[in-house]
Amino acid sequence: MFNLMRNEWMKLFSRAATYVMIGAVVLAAIAATVIMLFINSIGEDQNQTWQEQLQADNARLEQMIETGEAGFMGDDPAERIAINEYALENDIAPNTMDTFWSYLENSTFLISLIGLFAIVVASGIVASEFSWGTIKLLMIRPIARWKILLSKFITVGAFGLCLVAITAVISVILGLIFFDPGSSVRLVFEDGQVVEKSMAAYVVRLYLFNSLDVIMLTTMAFMISAVFRNSSLAIGISLFLLFVGGTATGFIAAYYDWAKYSLFANTNLSQYEMNMPIVDGMTMQFSIIMLVIYFAVFMTLAFTVFTKRDIAS
Amino acid sequence: MSQQTVVELKHVTKKIRSKTIIDDISFNVFSGEVFGFLGPNGAGKTTTIRMIVGLMKLSSGDIIVNGKSVKDDFEGAVQHVGAIVENPEMYKFMSGYKNLIHYSRMYKGISKEKIDEVVKLVGLEKRINDKVKTYSLGMRQRLGIAQSLLHDPKVLILDEPTNGLDPAGIREIRDYIRRLARERDMAVIVSSHLLSEMEMMCDRIGIIQNGKLKDVQLIEDFVGNQSHVYKIEISGAAQIADSMRQAFPAFEIKLVQDDLLINCKKEEIPAIIKWCVEEGLSVFGAAKAAKSLEDRFLEVTSEQKGEPAHV
Repeated sequence: MFNLMRNEWMKLFSRAATYVMIGAVVLAAIAATVIMLFINSIGEDQNQTWQEQLQADNARLEQMIETGEAGFMGDDPAERIAINEYALENDIAPNTMDTFWSYLENSTFLISLIGLFAIVVASGIVASEFSWGTIKLLMIRPIARWKILLSKFITVGAFGLCLVAITAVISVILGLIFFDPGSSVRLVFEDGQVVEKSMAAYVVRLYLFNSLDVIMLTTMAFMISAVFRNSSLAIGISLFLLFVGGTATGFIAAYYDWAKYSLFANTNLSQYEMNMPIVDGMTMQFSIIMLVIYFAVFMTLAFTVFTKRDIAS
Repeated sequence: MSQQTVVELKHVTKKIRSKTIIDDISFNVFSGEVFGFLGPNGAGKTTTIRMIVGLMKLSSGDIIVNGKSVKDDFEGAVQHVGAIVENPEMYKFMSGYKNLIHYSRMYKGISKEKIDEVVKLVGLEKRINDKVKTYSLGMRQRLGIAQSLLHDPKVLILDEPTNGLDPAGIREIRDYIRRLARERDMAVIVSSHLLSEMEMMCDRIGIIQNGKLKDVQLIEDFVGNQSHVYKIEISGAAQIADSMRQAFPAFEIKLVQDDLLINCKKEEIPAIIKWCVEEGLSVFGAAKAAKSLEDRFLEVTSEQKGEPAHV
């Protein structure tokens, strides 16, 4: 199995396209930093201290409660006031735009780019063997077909993780150089009181949640690639869904309840974090179960078809 | 005989939906022999080969390679098989050497020395580190043979190995194949629709048509052992054929293009030539015409009702 993965890795890194993808990811990580620096530089200078800002914020929130205006962000104004007061008392500066943590928080779009490349690789890794004709010489070896397919799937995953690692290292290094460290404490309102949470854990979770849809789509692209043996079809469908799937599901969910069974209604787990599920009554558990089911269906399809079907020209 | 059966096809049948592609084919291939698998395009040669190497599944019957069933123990059976199926398609973006590394990793215990040895055998030492996309068709074919020999298989299966090669390339491949069978006691299965090729390369041939095995014979039996046919090159052959038939009613006389083909014994030839001279005809030559494989092939395949053989 290890040798099979070495083979896949060797094939992947013998092609120029792979290096282009890595280059693009590196450039995007650098571009993200430049853009953030630019946005921060044109933002108006705040001559207030953060304490003054929080006090102003609190005054505004109190007024909202008096007038009965609902918090449009989904969170309770009273909770915000409690958090702000806790920050003032314990001298914890909130993370503004120009801190390291906000920079990381705002760089999640890099995940989509990595996802895009992971989809491209997943779409080609099986289908290309068919279009090159090399599948014949690959499958006449004393190795079960499922092992070959599994080695390919793991290789896609490893390549995705590799891109994530490259992005993470670059982002953290650039972030530490160009942004204020900010506060590594995140304040949340939980069970009637304000709790201090780790900012790092929050950022990791944020990236993980954002990765779910690309992980699912990469799995789907891999499945289409293995079932239909056609990389354009796999790339086409998966990228189309990557770009419009979420939005379309949002529209459908506004009118129909069954949208909650669709893939994209469940990939965004931060909807539970923010307390605004796309369809009322959905829970985190429900979504995780749905995701596991989708994943299992994709994998079963890929493995049964790939191991059963004849390889004819 | 010291020959042992290495590949055994038992009532192999392949159906795709309701269509029978391969219909109850059985034959054995022995070690040290080159077995030719001959048939017109679309007869089912490649399908049969794909079933032997496990790319396609059998609808019924079984294939035994070195005592192991392809159906029940695919990995056990196929580890003694080296093959090129159709064209030797390699990873063009990698060097020949990396391609060989790639395939060697899929078997247990293939050393670097073994790879070098195989490269030397096919004569690719100079170009092995170049990318495959720079190779000529002949070089790719040789690289294909190299990958099929990495694990010292007991059976070598080559599907149309000389397809698209120039005469020098064809000869080279043919010599390899003969040498491998002789020196390594390998069983080699070669498929082709080129009859002249098979005649020079194979010990036995099986003829397949419309998914059915028509005939399996030793190549000498297949070509020779027929009643002798003599070809007489003669002026005005077309006009003389009938009167000659009257003069020699015992012989079968056929007019082929401008030559006469006469089926007779050797001792009778002088009488025929004498008759011709007396008739005032110019005799340019008379020779024994060995029936070529092509003739036999057309004979065998056209026994099937009127289906024209594509040669």
